[in-house]
Amino acid sequence: MMKVLLLITMMFSLTACYEDTDVTLHQAGEYKGKLDSHSQTAEQREAILAKRFGQVQTDR
Amino acid sequence: MAKMKFLCDEERCIECNACVTACKNEHEVPWGVNRRRVVTLDDGQPGEKSISVACMHCTDAPCQAVCPVDCFYTTDDGVVLHDKDICIGCGYCFYACPFGAPQYPQEGAFGSRGKMDKCTFCAGGPEEDHSHEELEKYGRNRLAEGKLPLCAEMCSTKSLLAGDGDVVSELFRNRVVRRQGRQEAWGWDTAYNVK
Repeated sequence: MMKVLLLITMMFSLTACYEDTDVTLHQAGEYKGKLDSHSQTAEQREAILAKRFGQVQTDR
Repeated sequence: MAKMKFLCDEERCIECNACVTACKNEHEVPWGVNRRRVVTLDDGQPGEKSISVACMHCTDAPCQAVCPVDCFYTTDDGVVLHDKDICIGCGYCFYACPFGAPQYPQEGAFGSRGKMDKCTFCAGGPEEDHSHEELEKYGRNRLAEGKLPLCAEMCSTKSLLAGDGDVVSELFRNRVVRRQGRQEAWGWDTAYNVK
């Protein structure tokens, strides 16, 4: 009888050890600052920067 | 569209800290703030490894997610920037960032925390390109000049790479294949250029 009581007590005490494993995900809010405008389009910049990469980051 | 990324090749980094100095000098970064730093593991022991760390311009940036005033934005080039005019210097982004990128300059007689400062991938900020305000708040806008971040451009061993993620990974993949598991920064191969 005592063993059963002890087992039940242990089971109840262990239930307090439960940890919620769900990850809380936060979505980024909507940007509220000033608009960042560029003189070139993203495609133009990509081509220019790819060319630059070939010039200055070549392997040795 | 390009997704700009940094990559530091730990086999090549020699902990010269030139990237840190170049960044500080180029953007006139205030005292107490380092947009980039070099981290060394097993310092002084054979096989030590160093990497240069700054803002990694995350695709799903945690700083952007936790900002209570939503001052972060991602450009078309994949660069994470922020508007200092609406930043309140709360420090949430610092706690959220796994790289410790956001920094706060001390301001005032009692060293109160100023507005957040971090690596801009040399892309300035939301002010007009090449304007005095942009230079003052965010540093130089090298991307608008058709240049890549100075830290990577002047890296003497070409350890630090910056550019479109696809191009960077292609270059790095070729390096790994060429090395065939050998170390580059340590050993006789390096000293005597044995291939």
